[in-house]
Amino acid sequence: MTSAATSETMTEAPAAAGDQRGTVVLNDVIKRYGDALAVDRMSLTVQAGEFISLLGPSGCGKTTTLRMIAGFEQPDAGEITISGRSVQGTPPYRRDVNTVFQAYALFPHMSVAENVAYGLQQRRTPKAAIREQVSEALDLVQMRRFADRKPTQLSGGQQQRVALARALVNRPAVLLLDEPLGALDRQLREEMQLELKLLQSRLGITFVFVTHDQGEALSMSDRIAIMRAGRIEQLADADTIYARPASAYVAAFVGQQNFFRGTVVEHGSAVDSPHALVRGMRSEPGGLPEGAAGQAAVRPEFVQIAPDAAGGASDAANTARGTLIGVAHLGETMQYLVRLGEDQSLIARRPTPDAPELSVGDAVVCSWNAESVLLFPADDDPSSGGYVAPPTD
Amino acid sequence: MRRSPGFALAVPAWAWLVIFFVAPVAMVVWFSFGYKPGIFGTHANDVLSFDRYVEALSPTFFATFQNTLWVGVAGTLLCLVIGLPVAYWMAVKAPPSRRGLLLALVMVPFWTNFLVRTIGWQVILAPEGWLSSLLQGIGLTNGPLDLLYTRGAVLLGVVYNYLPLMILPLFVAFDRVNGPLREASKDLGAGRWRTFARVTLPLARPGVIAGVLLVFIPLMGDYITATVLGGAKGNMVGQLVASQFQTAQNWALGSAMAMLLIIVIVLTVAAGALVVWIVSLPFRARHRLVLGDPPAPPSPPVPGPSDTSATPAGPRETQEVAA
Repeated sequence: MTSAATSETMTEAPAAAGDQRGTVVLNDVIKRYGDALAVDRMSLTVQAGEFISLLGPSGCGKTTTLRMIAGFEQPDAGEITISGRSVQGTPPYRRDVNTVFQAYALFPHMSVAENVAYGLQQRRTPKAAIREQVSEALDLVQMRRFADRKPTQLSGGQQQRVALARALVNRPAVLLLDEPLGALDRQLREEMQLELKLLQSRLGITFVFVTHDQGEALSMSDRIAIMRAGRIEQLADADTIYARPASAYVAAFVGQQNFFRGTVVEHGSAVDSPHALVRGMRSEPGGLPEGAAGQAAVRPEFVQIAPDAAGGASDAANTARGTLIGVAHLGETMQYLVRLGEDQSLIARRPTPDAPELSVGDAVVCSWNAESVLLFPADDDPSSGGYVAPPTD
Repeated sequence: MRRSPGFALAVPAWAWLVIFFVAPVAMVVWFSFGYKPGIFGTHANDVLSFDRYVEALSPTFFATFQNTLWVGVAGTLLCLVIGLPVAYWMAVKAPPSRRGLLLALVMVPFWTNFLVRTIGWQVILAPEGWLSSLLQGIGLTNGPLDLLYTRGAVLLGVVYNYLPLMILPLFVAFDRVNGPLREASKDLGAGRWRTFARVTLPLARPGVIAGVLLVFIPLMGDYITATVLGGAKGNMVGQLVASQFQTAQNWALGSAMAMLLIIVIVLTVAAGALVVWIVSLPFRARHRLVLGDPPAPPSPPVPGPSDTSATPAGPRETQEVAA
């Protein structure tokens, strides 16, 4: 605990030897598998004590990145430093990091306690100290009373906790987590998310968390690195990623989006699509060139929906008329699927208490605020994650 | 009677075992207590005694038993020492795309007739053979090769003939351990050797046991390898048993020898297991960690927030023990 506490209090102090403990820096790291580029000139700086998530679809290079930090893979180019020291050529067993593996990788021939003791035994910790620290670590994850069981006698969630204790007992500078919650059912996963976050802030250990689940990343991380094809598309906190995604890819990957494709008009502040004129805020920096192809994105939760009393007369900006073709009850929200035309549909989501009474086949009008509109160039293809409207031309 | 479908599945196997294994062994046991009734009879059981066992343990035969045991133990250990690194390399280090080819190479000798490939070694090892001339030619040896008809030649033949039986189960065992478990060990600070000693080898233990038994048991009964390459020094019990049945027509003595061989095999395996158990005792004791029951909590135990949602905290423990 002492080392973790010191590193926490000393993060602000400049460059003494120990105070970088827990930082991870990737500098122009490249990893190839044959011809395939798994990680493409990736740079990333993780602060000591930070909870950072690498989020992306499978094959985006996030697990490869984690394995390079752990030492199971060597980068083809670039440099990785952990706690301020380069780990070039350092084997995994000499790195001050520990990993929680995707399938836990508990040793089946050892008891829970022996699994947790394994790392300490490698450091030739005295037996009495091992006993004490193993008990402590198992208390931390509330698995003390299962200490003398074999891992095969435990449920998935319990194995997950043991894997966590086995890594944390070594007090690593950095804990790497490779989709550790992937094998758990939804309810258990959400509880573990909360626990993990609490544990991390209590221990002050740097967590690098790999996941393809945006909910996991959003709920736990200090910062999220959205990865795509071996590169970081955006690195920011959850609020920024949600509200100001750097690209259409990020916008589509985190949450859902309705995309409208068309021509950029009004000095780059609006997209004229066949079914709606979508107008954003003028303050958007680096606006799109007038007349170019662009796309506008609106999240379903920002779309208002109402019965279309007036008929198809008025054509104000940020409104769209169509036919309701589906209603789904999602618990806290109601989701409406609206068909605007031959090849464009729109999703609207309203909180259940004030959701309008609509039935399939109704003529509806949808509208949204300019503040909720995001504008992107058309060549930025949000090809994965979220809802992607079919192209309009 | 829910067990009947399962039992039905096992009937062919049971029938096979009873007809072709239990019954013949029972006959051998029965014969071994009898005697040879004159020149033309093979066995008779009207008087039962242990006399054939006493006869089989006479000094002449005892030396053969000793020799058989020596070849069996030394050959098995050699196969283990040679096969273990090869199997480990094939399963862990070799590129996965090559594994099929490597396995095929290990098995190629198996496709040749057992006797033929053993005689092949006789040709190679002969004092006037090409290996002998080659070694003399490059000056490694002074005289002709003096290996054939020695124990060295027998061991060489044994390793050649039985190595695949050791490598294959070891390969399968190592292959299963490969991957995340070994990475987890390294991640926790264990180097190559410690990872091997504490994770890879313990988890590959069934494969090691299978390999040792697959080599040792047939080897104890084999006499072709020893006779062809060991000559007079290659007397094995298997050969004695065969000659008692075929040449001497003394089924009673042959049966007693066969029984003694079985007993020796069982005792050796048991002794080997005991030795390994004793030798590894301090190693295992050093890493054993039993925490026992947790100290009584000051307040009623805080239920684990996740797992208690599925089952109540109390009966869970007993449930899982039962399972």
